[in-house]
Amino acid sequence: MLEVADLSSGYGAAPALWGVSLAIGDGELVCVVGPNGAGKTTLINTVAGVNPIRGGTIALDGRDLTHLPPHRFCDEGIALVPEGRRLFVGMTVRENLEIGSYRRGARAARARSLEQVCALFPVVRDLLDRTAGTLSGGQQQMVAIGRALMARPRLLLLDEPSLGLAPLIVVAMFDAIREINESGTAVLLVEQNVAMALDIAHRAYVLDEGRVVAQGSPRALAAEPALRRAYLGVGAEPPSVPP
Amino acid sequence: MTLPSATLLAQSALSGLFIGALYGLLGLGLGLSWGLLHLINLAHFAFAFLAAYVCYQLATVGGVDPFLTLAIIVPSFFALGVVVQWLLARFEVSPLNSLLATFGLTAIVEATIQHFWTADFRKLDSAYAQMKFRVGELFVPVPELLTFLLAVGLSLAIWAVMRYTDTGRALRAAAEDGPIAEAFGVNRRAHSLLLAGVCAALAGVAGVCLALSFTLTPAQIYGWVGVVFAAVMLGGLGSALGPLAAGIIIGVSEALAMAVASPSWAPIVSFTLLIAILLLRPGKP
Repeated sequence: MLEVADLSSGYGAAPALWGVSLAIGDGELVCVVGPNGAGKTTLINTVAGVNPIRGGTIALDGRDLTHLPPHRFCDEGIALVPEGRRLFVGMTVRENLEIGSYRRGARAARARSLEQVCALFPVVRDLLDRTAGTLSGGQQQMVAIGRALMARPRLLLLDEPSLGLAPLIVVAMFDAIREINESGTAVLLVEQNVAMALDIAHRAYVLDEGRVVAQGSPRALAAEPALRRAYLGVGAEPPSVPP
Repeated sequence: MTLPSATLLAQSALSGLFIGALYGLLGLGLGLSWGLLHLINLAHFAFAFLAAYVCYQLATVGGVDPFLTLAIIVPSFFALGVVVQWLLARFEVSPLNSLLATFGLTAIVEATIQHFWTADFRKLDSAYAQMKFRVGELFVPVPELLTFLLAVGLSLAIWAVMRYTDTGRALRAAAEDGPIAEAFGVNRRAHSLLLAGVCAALAGVAGVCLALSFTLTPAQIYGWVGVVFAAVMLGGLGSALGPLAAGIIIGVSEALAMAVASPSWAPIVSFTLLIAILLLRPGKP
């Protein structure tokens, strides 16, 4: 469904992405891993429309998004869970979720979407009237994912959803991501937690210095000794990938 | 220093309430633009005075009812606000530079007013000017009462829009994190133009209220800046009801200070209040 071809992007004089090509199929869960500064966040923000495109193309289900203004990406079916969550901290949880369903195509289904988010994260139901800035990190991450789901995306972009969370909450977060994906939403996941990301992904890309250096099934990538040493954590055990 | 009578104090408090409502009405548009667009629009005061003069002209020469001039002033000032915002956005003026740019615009508007209406005092003579009624011992002037009702009504309306509509929420979200609001479909540019237009239209309404109750002279533009800034900062940037509440607190305390001590005490009271509240209020910018 998503076709990224030869994408270049970045701020100032130094581009952070150099001709990245990447594809996501319908209902697929694809993860992008790589060291710090590899351009993972730039990639996901560019696909979300937040970062300007310097070269190459982005297409979703055959529709070219390359020249759309940033606020039009959401209506094409893309929703972003940004790095560091970036909730509207002065607004209530309910208002944050309502902004998620701001786009015209999602407004009619607002009540149903809210029910679905509360079913996925039951904690959120009790937090609706709290100011988003007063929530814990894990709660904020749930609201950030919920906000993106309120847009009823066909492609969900997740940037470091496990960042700064306690291990138990990370497990719950990955379970939720798997659940979202199994309900039919395609997912592009950027993660530092390589083992867990490869564990739930159908396919993976390895990004380094703004270029794709490897791609394939998580199992194949994890079995590659050179890749494991260079990008997936020195001496790390191969992640348990279900057959 | 003898304490004035209870009636005089009550009458002072009432006139403080009315002038405070005008502080709040002037502060409403200023604070919205400051808090939500991150533009400190000094020209807001100049726009209000321009509207006051237009109202004066239409009412005095054209014989139009001052309140009917709103039908012309509100749409034309909305358009003026949109044009100014378009220019500020076009040249990517930063918040601090917006202060300079709109100060320049203020000087231009002031000179324009002086050109057409000279620096002489102008007072709108309308049917409303002499209208007042008595409540017990107190006199209630009708123009001031209408100003008060407009200020309360508009502040409540803006508050409701900010809180209960998608557009209002989008404006607040875009003020907090523009790129992320945009990623959820908020057209920031269109919203900025809309909000700037509304703020200028609010300045227009405040101008009509000014014309109803005050003698106009171009230099008076600057006389309102300090106290309205105080109301906006006390009330909270981007807040709809804050400037009105803060304006009334300032207005009433000024009026009481004038009644108990002397008129020269008024600014000391309002700015001491500002400093005290800014120091005591925890964690707010």
